[in-house]
Amino acid sequence: MIWLTWRQFRAQALIGLAALAALAIFLVILGMRIRGTYDANVTDCGTTCSVTNARDIMEDTYFGTLLLAGLLIVLVPALLGAFWGAPLVAREIETGTYRLVWNQSITRTRWLAVKLTFVTLAGVALAGAFSLLLTWAASPYDKLLTARFEPLIFPTRNIVPLGYAAFAVTAGIVIGLLIRRTIPAMAVTLAVFAALQILVPTFLRPHLQPPVTETVAFTADTTVSEFSTGGPTNKGVSINGYGSAVPGSWMLSGRVPLLDAAGNQATRDTIDGCLKGDFRRDMACVAQQNMHFEVKYQPASRYWTFQWLEFGAYLLLGGLLAGFAFWRVRRGLS
Amino acid sequence: MTPVLRSDGLTKRYGRRPALSDATLSIPAGRIVGLVGPNGAGKSTLLSLIAGIIAPTSGTIEVLGSQPAASAAQLAKVGFVAQDTPVYSALSVGDHLRLGARLNPKWDDLLARQRIEQVGLDLAQKAGRLSGGQRAQLALTLAAAKRPQLLIFDEPVASLDPLARRAFLQSLMEFVAELEVSVILSSHLLGDLERVCDYLVVLVGSRVQLAGDVEDLLEEHRRVIAARGELDSLPPGIEVIQADHTARQSTLVVKDTTGLLAQVVPAADVERLDLEDMVLAYLTRAASITAAAPARRHTEQPLEAQR
Repeated sequence: MIWLTWRQFRAQALIGLAALAALAIFLVILGMRIRGTYDANVTDCGTTCSVTNARDIMEDTYFGTLLLAGLLIVLVPALLGAFWGAPLVAREIETGTYRLVWNQSITRTRWLAVKLTFVTLAGVALAGAFSLLLTWAASPYDKLLTARFEPLIFPTRNIVPLGYAAFAVTAGIVIGLLIRRTIPAMAVTLAVFAALQILVPTFLRPHLQPPVTETVAFTADTTVSEFSTGGPTNKGVSINGYGSAVPGSWMLSGRVPLLDAAGNQATRDTIDGCLKGDFRRDMACVAQQNMHFEVKYQPASRYWTFQWLEFGAYLLLGGLLAGFAFWRVRRGLS
Repeated sequence: MTPVLRSDGLTKRYGRRPALSDATLSIPAGRIVGLVGPNGAGKSTLLSLIAGIIAPTSGTIEVLGSQPAASAAQLAKVGFVAQDTPVYSALSVGDHLRLGARLNPKWDDLLARQRIEQVGLDLAQKAGRLSGGQRAQLALTLAAAKRPQLLIFDEPVASLDPLARRAFLQSLMEFVAELEVSVILSSHLLGDLERVCDYLVVLVGSRVQLAGDVEDLLEEHRRVIAARGELDSLPPGIEVIQADHTARQSTLVVKDTTGLLAQVVPAADVERLDLEDMVLAYLTRAASITAAAPARRHTEQPLEAQR
């Protein structure tokens, strides 16, 4: 059965390997260049080294490229699901060959088990190779920018892409089994995968563990990227961009209100006396008014917990789908 | 000896549409069974149930003593050549033989290679480029070389032209005679099967109309021609399958399992029937019942009696 699975899967596997080779070359070159930049600005610069400067250079040079590479990494499981998973059973049904193979001296359970295991493991291995390469290539960048928990980076590094691949391939197989036509099954697989890639980071991942709520005193040293005194009608004071002050964390709060000692939102009128036009001096003045604000975030220490949880969740979902496929196939088609 | 097929109330429904209704059959081993019926009668459904490709909605089925496709050992006992003889178009003829060898413990490679050579197939040829007849031969070889106890063919000659039909069936029958297997084959043409089968199942409108040993069936059925009214009261045990009346005389096709007919009707009025007339009588009866029940499907085609 393994022979037949390989014989039918050969062409798709070779295309996958060719894509892997091409992307591997790109990622290795990218990794070398990122290392070059890191060395030049962090290790080999002696007294002129500045972390802030190095961060800026790194982000300016590689943000776009790494974003694109990350996108490719997430696209890989989607393509695996559509091109490896979906046709696996759908094509057999579409062309009627299931009636040939289901009459060999091998049970349908075994037939599906070999096909599903073989192709899913191949998919996980391929996605794993891509993830490993990107994780390696981007590691100096991730170390410097401490942003690996960010929604755009988190799904592209370490083990979660393997979970995506396991899920996508199994989902493709099951969708093919249900829809029974290759092309629609491929389209539905892509749609399901894309939907999960939007829904999970939006609704599930932030709540995998209850976020840490921290009350931060607003001092002269508090770094925020934006300080807003509200519009002409809404005079509430709010701040944004506190995230960089908790390195490596995943900041869930965006704009948060600035609160006075009693817990009410500060208004323009309360701090009006401080606003003279010099940002730093104004902030120092506001800081003396005993203000604070609240932020919610997932701390950096939870990164691996979250990687495992999301990996496990996708794996579990894939496992459930596989179980359904076995139940379905054992009953025979309709 | 274990019967090849034993089914009780076997029913398969797709949604609310019955594909096979209440089929109760018991077919002994060692027969060549012809399954005849118009298109859409449920032949493929019955054969797929026997091969275990689909599961019944209700009723029971046992093939060679076990549930179809329940285990690898059971699958090894049944060779199934599905309708349109599916093969993997991207795989070569040789690949198909390797597939068979790897997936069937009792694979007879010598038989397979001899057969492929005999019918003139090229091992390197992609199966997708074979003609309909060649594909049928490849599928037949695959099913036969696993050395099953039962070989099933679903409309093996439907895609062949009339000349190739006869040649294929001829070679098929010679081949299965060597293999010593039970065979079930279906066709919508009685003419394809009547020369080769010794057991007959007639299926119309998802129901089994007639099943039995061909000799026995021919022995049980008679055509009776008598003056009108003379045959109005036949004793129980004699079943009227078809009745045609003219103003003066009646022609009946009757089934008599009791032997009473000879006592009721003078021998001069009784004729033997050939297989085709007998089957036609059942088809006509089934069609009239179908016509009487309005909501039935209209796609059922009459059986073509080709000679």
